[in-house]
Amino acid sequence: MTPQHELEATMGDSAAAAAPRQGRRRRPGTRASLKRTYTLMLMPALLLVIGIMVPFANGVWTSLTDKKSYVAGPSFAGLANYIDLFTDPSFLRALGRTTLYVVIVLAVQLPLAIIVALLLARSSAGSWITRRVLVLPLLIPPIVAGLMWKTMLQPSAGVINYLLGLVGIPPQPWLTDIATALPSVVLIDTWAFLPFSALIILAGLQSLPEEIKEAAQVDGAGPWAVFRHISLPWIAPYVVLVAIFRVADSFKQFDLVWPVTRGGPIDATRLLHVMGYEEVFRFSSPARGMAVIFVLWILVYVVSTYLLKVWRRTINTVG
Amino acid sequence: MDTKQKLARGSSKVGFTAAYVAIMTFLLFPIVWVLMMSFKGYDDVIAYPPKFVFEPTLANYQSVLFGDTGSMSSGAGEFVGYLGNSLIVSLGAVALSLLVGVPAAYALMRNRIGKEDTIAFTFLSFRFAPELMVIIPLYGIFQTMGLYDSYLGLILSHQLITIPLIIWIVRTFLQDVPVEIEEAAQIDGCGPLKTLWRIVLPVIRPGVASAAILAFIFSWNNLLMGLVLAGGRTQPVTVGILQAIGFDQVRWGWMAAAAIVSALPGMLVALYMQKHLVKGLTMGVGK
Repeated sequence: MTPQHELEATMGDSAAAAAPRQGRRRRPGTRASLKRTYTLMLMPALLLVIGIMVPFANGVWTSLTDKKSYVAGPSFAGLANYIDLFTDPSFLRALGRTTLYVVIVLAVQLPLAIIVALLLARSSAGSWITRRVLVLPLLIPPIVAGLMWKTMLQPSAGVINYLLGLVGIPPQPWLTDIATALPSVVLIDTWAFLPFSALIILAGLQSLPEEIKEAAQVDGAGPWAVFRHISLPWIAPYVVLVAIFRVADSFKQFDLVWPVTRGGPIDATRLLHVMGYEEVFRFSSPARGMAVIFVLWILVYVVSTYLLKVWRRTINTVG
Repeated sequence: MDTKQKLARGSSKVGFTAAYVAIMTFLLFPIVWVLMMSFKGYDDVIAYPPKFVFEPTLANYQSVLFGDTGSMSSGAGEFVGYLGNSLIVSLGAVALSLLVGVPAAYALMRNRIGKEDTIAFTFLSFRFAPELMVIIPLYGIFQTMGLYDSYLGLILSHQLITIPLIIWIVRTFLQDVPVEIEEAAQIDGCGPLKTLWRIVLPVIRPGVASAAILAFIFSWNNLLMGLVLAGGRTQPVTVGILQAIGFDQVRWGWMAAAAIVSALPGMLVALYMQKHLVKGLTMGVGK
């Protein structure tokens, strides 16, 4: 194939106008050049992938060295950092804590998101306002959401404890106590991401054809039966998609923790992403930090790949 | 029977309303509270029991936007500088992502060789991966390349957030474009680029808009990139707020006003484009 052909296929009509049109498109050479054009269109994005792969590989390499920020010329250390981590109780606790965080977030937010979506689907009046309200938390930077809640959750002067006091509930320590800090972060997380989850599931509910529901109701199905056997299977792909987002984002949660508790009190909210950041920038140990983050990366990769598979399967079932 | 049914329906309505009010209160109260806080003077902010009625003041906003003369911690208009930095980085990142991502999404959609889905998923997986895995090594690389604390460096690193969104959402919208109109254009001699520009782009414009908006919001909201890759010159608004709570006493009123200002661009956008936002968010699940 000549460069001339390629140019024609790429640039289109001015050159092609000279040739008989119908016939040209059928020629295999033209198809190959078409393919090359598509590859060219993809190229800049692929370059970007490479641009991401380089630091990624660099990070994995760093985790295999003994690099400290204050020492020049790190040397290869094999899996020493990883062996070190998996025999370190504080890392294992962070690993367990992070997993627990993800599990609680899912257990709280998935059912709640479905309930909110059902509520929204039912409310016709005021839905214009509702949906705008619902979008708001999504638009607030998570770090700002964290700080907003930190002011409200102050044990002695915060408005939440004050309001709870009005209905007779004793003040809670919230973010300041080892036992309640992590659940408090889940609370903030729920505020920040429930709208996102609910909106996606709501879109699923709205895509369900009314006739299907009506047909079931005519057949005598109650509201619960309609939900259980019709709505729920229909929105399954949407719920799984929400789960993917929430799992990945919770595993790597940082924004809601760092400005609010810095991982404390003691290490009650030290999730893996926070721990990795601290190892690098507070304890000057990039090697150990990258090992922590790479373990986290593998965890997220395995779980989200699995969930993506589930997602595609649910889509195929519904479709 | 009749009254029983009515009663059941009535109580379900009460339950519905109660649940609805509870959820809306939970979601809205923090925003209302912080909005109130941003208009409070110092004494009202720290008052206990918390004040729901108070004399509003613009002092906090004045301090956020123009700096205050009394404090050493915040120079005049420093926060406006952070806003500007965020704006440059987020707009730049979205523009670059559109330029690179839309043709890529189109090529992935139309060039059937069997590996497009894998490539598309690879892009999407960047969205799910812990950012520090790339950002921390970038910190070292950028320092040797002179890209640390530069707009260009930040715009490039923000591609990690914006490109996956753009490619994925635009791809979704492309699925709805009938192939016939493109084939007609191609028979008329249009190459892929021209077909995309002349025929496809006008059709998927809403999709591109919602992708761009979402990408902008996620880029704007990002904390880690700025925390690691920005220094004094390019510090974004998220890092700026974080720093404000570090020194002297925590100035809640100032922080509240800064929070409102920093969330404003996204809120304004949402008011106008709520529908596009939701469509973008759902990213073509199912159909």
